[in-house]
Amino acid sequence: MNELIIIIFAPLIAGVIAWALDIKGIRELFGVAGAAIPLAYLIKLYPTVDAEGMIQYTLNFADFTFEFLLTHMSWIFAMIAGVVGLAAVLGMVSTSKNGYEWLFALMSLTGVYGIFIAYDLLGFFIFWEIMTFGSFMMVLKYNRGASLKYFILSVIGAYAMLIAIGLIYAKVGSFAFADIRSAFYRDALSLTVGGPTLFSRGEVAFIFGLFLLAFGVKAGMFPLHVWAPDAYSETNQSYTAMFSGVLSKTGVYGFILIYILIGYRLLYEFGTIRTVPKFGYIIAFLGGLTIIVGGLLAALQEDIRKLFAYSSISQIGYILVGIGVGTALSIEAAIYHAISHALFKGLFFLIVATIIYRTGKTEFKDMGGLAEKMPVTFAMAFVAILSLAGIPPLVGFASKWLIFEAVISQNMPILGGMVFFGSAIGFVYLIRFTYAVWFGQRPTDLDDTKDAPLPLAIGMGILAVLNVVFGIAPGLVAQELNKIFGREVIGGTIWELNIGVGKYNGLLITVWLVVGLLIAAIVYFLGAGVRKVPVTDTYQSGNPVTMDYNLTIRRNFFLPLKEALSFWLRISFDRFYKDIGKTVEDFAETMRNYVYNGNAQSYAWYFAIVLLILAMWGV
Amino acid sequence: MLEVALKALFLLIYATFVGFMFMGIIRKVSARIHRRVGPPLYQPILDTIKLLSKKTNITHGLIYDFGIIYALGATVMALFFIPIGSVSILRAYGDLILITFLLEIPMLGIMFAAMSSGNPWAGLGAQRALLTLLAIQIPLGFAIVALAEYYGTFSTYQIVMAQQVSGWSIIHIPLLLAAIAYDIVLQAMFGKEPFDIMIAPGEISLGPMVEFGGKHMGILQIQHAIALFAETLFFANIFLGGAVVTVFASPILNTIASLGILLIKQIAVLMVAIFIGNIFPRFTIDQAAKFYWKWPTIIAALGAILASL
Repeated sequence: MNELIIIIFAPLIAGVIAWALDIKGIRELFGVAGAAIPLAYLIKLYPTVDAEGMIQYTLNFADFTFEFLLTHMSWIFAMIAGVVGLAAVLGMVSTSKNGYEWLFALMSLTGVYGIFIAYDLLGFFIFWEIMTFGSFMMVLKYNRGASLKYFILSVIGAYAMLIAIGLIYAKVGSFAFADIRSAFYRDALSLTVGGPTLFSRGEVAFIFGLFLLAFGVKAGMFPLHVWAPDAYSETNQSYTAMFSGVLSKTGVYGFILIYILIGYRLLYEFGTIRTVPKFGYIIAFLGGLTIIVGGLLAALQEDIRKLFAYSSISQIGYILVGIGVGTALSIEAAIYHAISHALFKGLFFLIVATIIYRTGKTEFKDMGGLAEKMPVTFAMAFVAILSLAGIPPLVGFASKWLIFEAVISQNMPILGGMVFFGSAIGFVYLIRFTYAVWFGQRPTDLDDTKDAPLPLAIGMGILAVLNVVFGIAPGLVAQELNKIFGREVIGGTIWELNIGVGKYNGLLITVWLVVGLLIAAIVYFLGAGVRKVPVTDTYQSGNPVTMDYNLTIRRNFFLPLKEALSFWLRISFDRFYKDIGKTVEDFAETMRNYVYNGNAQSYAWYFAIVLLILAMWGV
Repeated sequence: MLEVALKALFLLIYATFVGFMFMGIIRKVSARIHRRVGPPLYQPILDTIKLLSKKTNITHGLIYDFGIIYALGATVMALFFIPIGSVSILRAYGDLILITFLLEIPMLGIMFAAMSSGNPWAGLGAQRALLTLLAIQIPLGFAIVALAEYYGTFSTYQIVMAQQVSGWSIIHIPLLLAAIAYDIVLQAMFGKEPFDIMIAPGEISLGPMVEFGGKHMGILQIQHAIALFAETLFFANIFLGGAVVTVFASPILNTIASLGILLIKQIAVLMVAIFIGNIFPRFTIDQAAKFYWKWPTIIAALGAILASL
């Protein structure tokens, strides 16, 4: 059996066994094995990928040829799936209730591996559907409405992709990426000398539009993001670590595929804006809007899961901006951010899973002061907060820094402003999370909350350590990314990123931060000793305070922001889609009433009209 | 190694001292504007010494202590990355975006400490501080973008060197617009009226600072002094040409001269902030957000677009 096939199908097989046996203890064992085996094989295959550049495998099945190829890029993406998938599965050991969840969680993992490793459009599409189905079933168990919304948008995306695949196959006659790529490349060459082309200008634009829809839905791109807040929140939160951390990356991978497959053709057909290809600018601009919309909505949420769902959308926006700008540097920066987003967002959702598992509450109004009760989880949250907010020396800063510089150095001022706004709004909603959950007065019903269970703590630990290690040594990732392009796009050592116009050194930042903290600590410890006081021993305009008072602002924390944005908040795409759905339902109802009206004479009339048409045709 | 340590120590003492002088200047000039005599220039130093020597201090937990240590530590780190004549240690890594971020992260420490106290005023202050941060980020971002696009580099030191050849940034129209926007942003970064919404004395009892006393407050005073120094220094470097003096034969004289020139520029930046701060009353937070998202953003975006042409 080939190793690539093992990587792809091991999770699914483990999931089926876990579901079939459904014995507590054993199903967890199989589940963890199902996530760990692909990771182990990926690490084992790394030297081969590194030496030969790729590992190929061809599978013939039912008259179709499926190509699988593990390149540097797909290895990196598959590693995201491997690491975050393992952490999420460890979290599920604590939070999952039955074999059903194991089956579909691992099925979606199989889909993801298949998408990253497939090298023909047919295999790509099949695994895409497996992934969508697995994640849909995970949401369905928790909330029907949310799952249907996710499913319908996913189906629209998937069938848009299917139409595009059909169009391509009709002209090229092959599903293999290599053939399609060379066909479009030949077209682009032919275009430059004014020769005939296989695809017309309109067809290429149409295919691009269909792919944009397909991948935009999965990535959560504005305005197709509406499924994400519901689907991410209404499921097992350990699974969401994978859902947001890994499954959304398939959309990102799809956008990169657009470049690989039809990029040259689009570039020559539609030209550039400054140095950015026009088609890429569309992706980048939508990405910029995604950052802003996702971030602002995240700040206004009252539910911990919704906050992180919108935050996930917002961070994907960065990746789209990076991909859209389309230089080697910006694409590397985008993949880097995809890695760091998977690391810190996976960590965040595991933290959310822990909080919900231990307290059973999801809304900010019920929480507070948990830092004392869950110190380990809080320490993990601290790492994740620093990483997402882009605080050096964590990995979130390194990747955001790369995106900033990659975008701005291409002379794109508006996109630059958008990504800057995104970093501030990230800071804003994270502090809201910190304040409402970890600090302040603790409601009395949370007084006997325990810390994270061991499997969740291990899952969080894996991700937190990687957040720190890749942050201090950002070159580790960068040098791996350079291999995608086969040249040194991001220079420097493992401690340093050097892109010509700017330099960033993770180790140096760490060292000097430690120096700064030491200096501050010296000043602190030179002072007199401290006395610990309870939370109620506080300034309340000089009045005495007891625990009966609610001292912490838990509701509508950003009310002024809401008021400042009240005009924009009236425009909701969620409502727009609901209205469309309602219109379609009404139309179907109308059709049913008029066409199937139960009157025998009208059916006779339909028959007569059809006969009349046939007669006019001259049959 | 020893040289780096000595430089760092010198820089730290110099920045702290000058920062405290700046705080003194703010009080003195404000007093003169109100036709008062005002305290002596060294008053903030006395205040801080008093705060640090309090016999009893209170704490609300580990984060309460760590937050302020982090705030001061991050400010000290930020200081080392900003070019300052030939004294600076890490100017090769003084990246525009990095410094912009580094100047913001001390706020994270202050927020953490303030919020862990559980005081409602601190929560309110944190909310206002965050919304101010969000509001200023757009014009600030565009100003940074304008600079990076005009000079084609992100290195602050190279921008300073480029200004030695082509003149100060503010004589170029796109960068003049960026500088105006940045200067309006500075008002909020210093925490001066009309954008001192986060502290808002008299309105929300000092906001995030409400629970701090004794050595915690003393450390925040030191942090404020260094931040004041770092922020004015950064502005002087990127918009007012910084200072690279090479006329003297002795490197020590050159260093002293460039520090002197920088000091004059920093005080000029500070004076503008004091004058504006003393004649405008405070905005409410939604007014501030709407203001920053309108005029400074338009000015800075225009600058960024002109710079990218």
